[in-house]
Amino acid sequence: MGTATGIIRALNSGIKHIATKRFTLRYPEEKLKFVGDGYQFDPSTGVGIAGLKGRHMLFHDHCTGCQLCSIACEGVAEAIAMVKVPENQKQNKKSIMPQIDYGKCVFCGLCVDACPFYALYMTNDYELSSFTKEGLIYTPAQLQVKPYVAQDSEIIITKWGATHG
Amino acid sequence: MTNEFLPPGLALQKADERIMTLNVGPQHPGSGHMRIIVQIDGDYIVACDPDPGYVHRGEEKMAEYRNYITNIPHLERPVIHDSCNVLYPYVLGVEELLGIEVPERAKYVRVICSELNRCIYTMYWLAIYGIFLGHSTMFMWPAGDRELLIDLMEKISGARVTHAHFVPGGVRNDLPPNFEEVCLRQVNYFEKRIREYAAVFYDNPILISRTQDTGVLSREDAIRLGVTGSVLRASGVDYDLRKKEPYDVYEELDVHSNVMKEGDSYARSKIPWLDMLESCNIIKQALEKMPKSGSVRVKLKPNPKGKGFDSVYKRVESGRGSLGCHIVSDGKVEPYRLKLSVGSFRNLIALPYLLKGEKLGNMPSVYWSLNYWPVEADR
Repeated sequence: MGTATGIIRALNSGIKHIATKRFTLRYPEEKLKFVGDGYQFDPSTGVGIAGLKGRHMLFHDHCTGCQLCSIACEGVAEAIAMVKVPENQKQNKKSIMPQIDYGKCVFCGLCVDACPFYALYMTNDYELSSFTKEGLIYTPAQLQVKPYVAQDSEIIITKWGATHG
Repeated sequence: MTNEFLPPGLALQKADERIMTLNVGPQHPGSGHMRIIVQIDGDYIVACDPDPGYVHRGEEKMAEYRNYITNIPHLERPVIHDSCNVLYPYVLGVEELLGIEVPERAKYVRVICSELNRCIYTMYWLAIYGIFLGHSTMFMWPAGDRELLIDLMEKISGARVTHAHFVPGGVRNDLPPNFEEVCLRQVNYFEKRIREYAAVFYDNPILISRTQDTGVLSREDAIRLGVTGSVLRASGVDYDLRKKEPYDVYEELDVHSNVMKEGDSYARSKIPWLDMLESCNIIKQALEKMPKSGSVRVKLKPNPKGKGFDSVYKRVESGRGSLGCHIVSDGKVEPYRLKLSVGSFRNLIALPYLLKGEKLGNMPSVYWSLNYWPVEADR
């Protein structure tokens, strides 16, 4: 193949892309769709349930304050601290619950795997930025809130290329 | 202070008047956290001394203080784009130490994750290779098309990079519902897209004239220097661990290893691209042969222990070549010693031999064609 034909072929392959669809996700306006409701773990079978590893969610009526999540985080990120909570749950004699520092968390989800009482899950919430370091520390009361996450676009493959819908 | 106490490159060298010492890196965006000390005569490189070690994080020592499960998140940090392949030998080794039998479905899921990760890494590598040669299209296209596979990995493991998906005894979670269909569709489109790269990049006469016959590594030298992976296969040695020492279910899949005889910069850049096409093929085969249901993880005790003094060495074919993991256990919850033997560092050894006599302008293309990842080499 001659030099000129090669260059024309290369240019032609680029020019074809003027007609194809835009693949870029316009992030703050469009948000990606995820499978499931966040990463969860079923201790009876020992297998997780697929989902995004985002911000955690703590179920106060299941948490016994056993500290297994905090122990699982030792040596990984040490993001989980057990703090005193004012409320009185009957299964939680010591009244301690995990408080998670998202400045340290690496979102590996090993704390979810460690919880034997279905109390700690992960959610689809990934927009955690804060102006202060203290704002990244989520108390048990904040972790209890189920987040609302907008999910509107996913990859669609058409004849004219892939697009985010 | 005399010269002998100074690190190499900082010492004043009494050289020929014609020869100049040039430091490329460690802050140079092209070298990527490492320094290449080159001595040039005019435009030609006389000698070259690669100087890695700027991002040494002590992963191996850190592993001695963490148990077999807690080691997983930090061991995948050396190559975050190829995190499943970095964990693969560790996980295989721990399984042999603890005597765990992995379910069949988990093995297939692992193969799919590993091949997806190989493509994700190679696309990132290819994007940087394109921008090294001043080819902006080849930076934008792979960086965009990676998204198709990152989306698949996000669906499987819940994280876009550093998946922490492999564990001793299988994988963390099963594939999401309808995954086979989505995966097949996106992998097919990805394959179609990377075939388009041929016209714009690999058959482009400008690229061929820049990279052909630069940094030629002969077959004998490749074997003598002990390079691995795509660099070895570009020099005409057919050695792919997926074929030679099949691990997990690779022996049941039809793996074709790509070999080129030239051994130059062009061949070294083309082999990873051919490997990506092969990876797409393997993913499709694995999706077809995978058992449709079944367990994907064996339940382990909370803190698994090795059985007395024991050691194991496992290696896999990563995106950068053979990646080995040597684990020594002394019967405690932590490994006694862990050693990662990485492909990047072995490929770097060839750099001084390849650059001698080359023009300085060819240095980026020869350096990056070695499939070298600075963070992995430093560990």
